[in-house]
Amino acid sequence: VIEALRAGSGGALDLPTGTVYPALHRLERAGLIGSAWHTVNGRRRRAYQLTPAGCTALHEQRAVWDQFSAAVTALLNRPARPAST
Amino acid sequence: MSGRADPAGPTRYLARVASSLRGPRQYRDRILAELRDGLDQSVAAGIGRGLSEEGAVAAAIEDFGQPDAVAAGFATELAIATARHTLFWYLLTGPLVGVWWLLSLQPYPWRAGLVVVIAAIPVLPLIVVAIATATGTVATTGRLIRWLPEASARHAIAGSALVAALAVFGDLVMIGQYVHSGSPARPLGVIAVAASTIRVVCSSAVLLHLVVRGRLTVSAM
Repeated sequence: VIEALRAGSGGALDLPTGTVYPALHRLERAGLIGSAWHTVNGRRRRAYQLTPAGCTALHEQRAVWDQFSAAVTALLNRPARPAST
Repeated sequence: MSGRADPAGPTRYLARVASSLRGPRQYRDRILAELRDGLDQSVAAGIGRGLSEEGAVAAAIEDFGQPDAVAAGFATELAIATARHTLFWYLLTGPLVGVWWLLSLQPYPWRAGLVVVIAAIPVLPLIVVAIATATGTVATTGRLIRWLPEASARHAIAGSALVAALAVFGDLVMIGQYVHSGSPARPLGVIAVAASTIRVVCSSAVLLHLVVRGRLTVSAM
């Protein structure tokens, strides 16, 4: 998750790894993701995956974000007006 | 790279995180196991990038953040887990205590009718408030937070403390009424008094723990 955040944002989102776990736990408590221990190459690892409710929430939140960022971008791209006195 | 190759660094780091985690043991163990897994993975990735083992351990620990900060990040989730754990305990054990009082007051509840049986419970308002608080807190800290406003850790702890306090008060009222009623001691009454006494003792310990827990939660957030 951390690597995906780091690589996907071009290094802009470089969070301390330890801070991501509480966020994952909260999402799991909300039923948006599920997790289970798996054994990979002899080592136990906890894998997380989106639940159907999580997929729905992701689509909804992505649409909200797209709308928000488009609005802010449009606002910032407006030509500057001279200040009136 | 396996966890066996780097026993000192991550182990010391996790011990420092563990010393600051407060909450249900099973949940704390899960957190530590997950952090260990993440650290081992991070160290292996560092070695894969060409770092020495010592360098990879140091880089992994730096990536994770300060132990106190990592533990503080879990404070909210641990506090909510503590509150939910406590409330589930009351919701499950409540009927086990209540049924003895009910049978003690109405030995044949099926004959008396539902309204009479319910009206015979002297601490009914307390029970209603406790059940409403418990179910409300459980609902607003679990999966229903997708639709309901989410309760903060502080509110969750306060809700569970209120339920514990109501349980203590309700049990003491019931015991007091029974003792002062002057009625002869009957097996059902004795069992009810014993069940309530056990719950008073447990609830007092829970209350003490929750007060400390609440303070720690507030200071960690």
